[in-house]
Amino acid sequence: MESNKKVAFPRIANYNCAIKYILEKGMEVRCILQPEMTKRTIEIGAKYSPDYVCTPFKSSLGSMIEALEAGADSIMMTNGVCRLGYYGELQEQILRDLGYQFEFVNLSEYTTGKVKDYLKAVKRINPKYSFPKLMLALKDGLAMAEYVDNVTEEYYKNCGFEQEKGAFRKVFRQFLTEMETARSRGEIDAGYREAMQRMGRIPLDKPEWPLRVGVIGEFFTVMDPFSNLEVEQKLADMGVEVHRWMNVKNRMLHYSGEKNMNVKIRELCTYEMGPTSTANIWCAKDYAEQGFDGLIHVKSAGCTPEIDVMPVLQRISEEYKIPVLYLTYDSQTSDVGMMTRLEAFYDMIEMRKKVV
Amino acid sequence: MEKPVTIGIPRAMLYYRYKTLWLTYFEELGIKTVVSAPTSKKTLEEGAALAIDEACLSLKIFLGHVKALVGKCDYILVPRISDFGLNYEMCSRFQAMYDLTKTVFRNTGQKFISYNVEMLNKRSEWAAFMGLGQFFGFPLKMVKKAYDRAKKAEQKQWKADLKVQDGLLSSEKPKILIAAHGYLIRDAYIGRTVTDFLKSMDVVPVRADIIDRDEAMKASKELSPTCKWLLNREILGSIALNRDKVNGIILLSAFPCGPDSMVNEIITRRVKGIPILNLVMDGQDGTAGVETRLESFIDIIRFKEGTL
Amino acid sequence: MDHAYLGIDVGSISTKGVIIDRDNHILGSEYIWTEGNPIWAVKELIRRLEQQFDKEHYKIVATGTTGSARKLAGTIVGATMVKNEITAHAVGTTTFYPNVRTILEIGGQDSKIILVENGVAVDYAMNTLCAAGTGAFLSSQAKRLGIDVEEIGAIALTSKHPTPIAARCTVFAESDLVHKIQNGHERKDIIAGVCNAVAANYLNNVGKGKKIESPVVFQGGVSKNAGVVAAFENMLGCKVIVDENGHLMGALGAAILAKKSDKRKEFDFSVEDMEFRTREVLCGRCTNNCEIICVYRNGMMIDFWGNRCERGANFK
Repeated sequence: MESNKKVAFPRIANYNCAIKYILEKGMEVRCILQPEMTKRTIEIGAKYSPDYVCTPFKSSLGSMIEALEAGADSIMMTNGVCRLGYYGELQEQILRDLGYQFEFVNLSEYTTGKVKDYLKAVKRINPKYSFPKLMLALKDGLAMAEYVDNVTEEYYKNCGFEQEKGAFRKVFRQFLTEMETARSRGEIDAGYREAMQRMGRIPLDKPEWPLRVGVIGEFFTVMDPFSNLEVEQKLADMGVEVHRWMNVKNRMLHYSGEKNMNVKIRELCTYEMGPTSTANIWCAKDYAEQGFDGLIHVKSAGCTPEIDVMPVLQRISEEYKIPVLYLTYDSQTSDVGMMTRLEAFYDMIEMRKKVV
Repeated sequence: MEKPVTIGIPRAMLYYRYKTLWLTYFEELGIKTVVSAPTSKKTLEEGAALAIDEACLSLKIFLGHVKALVGKCDYILVPRISDFGLNYEMCSRFQAMYDLTKTVFRNTGQKFISYNVEMLNKRSEWAAFMGLGQFFGFPLKMVKKAYDRAKKAEQKQWKADLKVQDGLLSSEKPKILIAAHGYLIRDAYIGRTVTDFLKSMDVVPVRADIIDRDEAMKASKELSPTCKWLLNREILGSIALNRDKVNGIILLSAFPCGPDSMVNEIITRRVKGIPILNLVMDGQDGTAGVETRLESFIDIIRFKEGTL
Repeated sequence: MDHAYLGIDVGSISTKGVIIDRDNHILGSEYIWTEGNPIWAVKELIRRLEQQFDKEHYKIVATGTTGSARKLAGTIVGATMVKNEITAHAVGTTTFYPNVRTILEIGGQDSKIILVENGVAVDYAMNTLCAAGTGAFLSSQAKRLGIDVEEIGAIALTSKHPTPIAARCTVFAESDLVHKIQNGHERKDIIAGVCNAVAANYLNNVGKGKKIESPVVFQGGVSKNAGVVAAFENMLGCKVIVDENGHLMGALGAAILAKKSDKRKEFDFSVEDMEFRTREVLCGRCTNNCEIICVYRNGMMIDFWGNRCERGANFK
């Protein structure tokens, strides 16, 4: 049975289509997709946020306000293993103090250690939801998220070398539009296949040994192009093959588990140092061993787990002789300053490559 | 054991929570301990030089204490404490602390020792201490006994602390609840400057972290249901239970403490009808700036009570 | 006619220009204040360089620009090479000091460190969030103490007991400074303390985790300050080289990079007589409200930039 709720969630990277699909097909509610994040989003978010909270708190608060402005009457918020798990409660309080009226479904409230308790949250969104429909939509929606990751990986590895400028972007944009409008698994699969095939056909001018840079860092900021000021696009535009392991597919859907991951980095750390630390340390080491030309570490200002990983990254940089550029984003980080750092980084790894 | 072992303990972070447990445990095993000297300006400066700039003041102080112990002991103890169950978690910095410290001091030749508590993965404190003792080659029976005695000493100390706390709360003088992490309030260079100044103004500082922990957990759930950090839950619970017994609350935080950045915002938005001062310490501003703010806060309280 | 190459470095505080020949010999150089007006500064710089330039024997065949206003300057002068200041400094310095291992640079608002191995930059870092410990900080403290920023170095060297000053951030440093003054510290000690604070803050922030190896070259506007130089030598325990042309290294690097590239375009001194104007336009095609900068030469728009997405790309 359909519910007449208008549900929204704070935008996250390019996964909005998958979340929307699960909400609409699995919970049978109308999903309100607010506009993409812009400077205004982060400005209003920062205005109402505590000062030294991490930046994604501010941008997701801004995104919630924009969802309410776009007509949503319910907001769904995720839980999380770092401060993210507490975002929801504080954001709801801030929005209520501002006078907004809405229903707030905070997954942190349903985090009890038992997965089935999350169904209570679903029930609040639609009391008459159908369990089989939810499971099917979840399966298809997660497949969509995985497709998004596959297409994104292809895109950033190759778009810097396209012969006709904009060819990759065109396919990527169209793929995302198709995912946003897909109504069935058939449409999802077809859109994915077509995008991969079209990308495969784009003529490239790629040298045999292109510059390769690995981008690592904090789960949200590293995946969200708006939040990281399109660091991957900017690198690619300079003519770099950009790799990023950290995404929903690798970290959540096919993660080999903390222990099996830790085995590979024993000499660098004994325990899990934070939610994505093991993966990032492994990733950095793996890129270094593959002979990448440089690493870029992306995080929002104040991200505790990523700050704590930095000494280990410095060690990897020293032992493997691989340059690492550390980028910290707050709500005021400017494009111009970041461009200067990126350009210099590019020049540096390019000159190093020539010498070596 | 062929050679007596000395363990260095940094006087920072979890030392303040576990000192009775640690010191008794090692003493029972016949292991010598050396605790670093109270924080000074030098501790902070040396720690700041070692830490990533964006790290919190408390970590900088901690690394300064570790540096003071390097070369003065066989092992330095840095526990790795992740959680005591769902919603009783530690800030992720405590998960990272052991590996972080080892990495920072990797070129000094200093050895470190850790124990791991992670109840979500069924790693209890008891098991951790058994492993710790066996690492040093003691028979399990002896380790068990040492831990039992250490736990008893810890309990006894805690009861005494709670009694002192009751005394403070029934004082006739104006009382201010200091809502802060124990390692911040008790730090000689940071928290002590605040509590000493309050005392000099004839105000009783009451530490929020000394509270019946079970009751505090219950009370904290009403004030903030999804708060995930154990240490902040104790503070939240303490505010809920003690707010009627004190005249004001100081939210004392180390810049830029992750959990405090959010929990203190919840407190200011939900706890009404009592004066609250937000004090963020970064170890840089001279005491004069802090004293001015404290003085005016006390004036506000006295004015409200009609005693100014 | 021999070939010559022009390099221009437009920073927030000062604008530097240099003309070199094929062998990197300096044919002419200038250093002026930007005074918040980069267009004026570039034109004034070119006017002064023209007076030093021997047009009979040389012609400028390539021009490079660098610094925070590199793009604007590049558009105005028709540069053949626009390079960021980190690369320009590295290239300039390694050309004159092939053995250099560490380059310290403190400018008006930026500070950076560049580590060099075998003449190639292998690692670098820039100040992250604030302008503490940069030239702007020194100027504001000098003003507060009522002295000229150029005098700081000489006064600092006379102090035997520099006052410890917190310098993590300009705001904190200022309040600390006020307290120290009120507490009765001697002025020369406070000034020396400010110099120490700049060096300490730099090493703690930009230099964190970097292995600083000798030879060390120190440049940027602040390298002219003997007090800061002494503070660095003291803290690093090694000699710190300050080149008399250190302030020109960015411009030199830009000129050398222009020389190395194969792009050629004869430089025309007449730009100093042209009228340039910039206009800031809010794009308004989405709520990013990108500030698009349009550059006009004699009333005609010749370039624009600043848009974050393609909605603003066809801006006219």
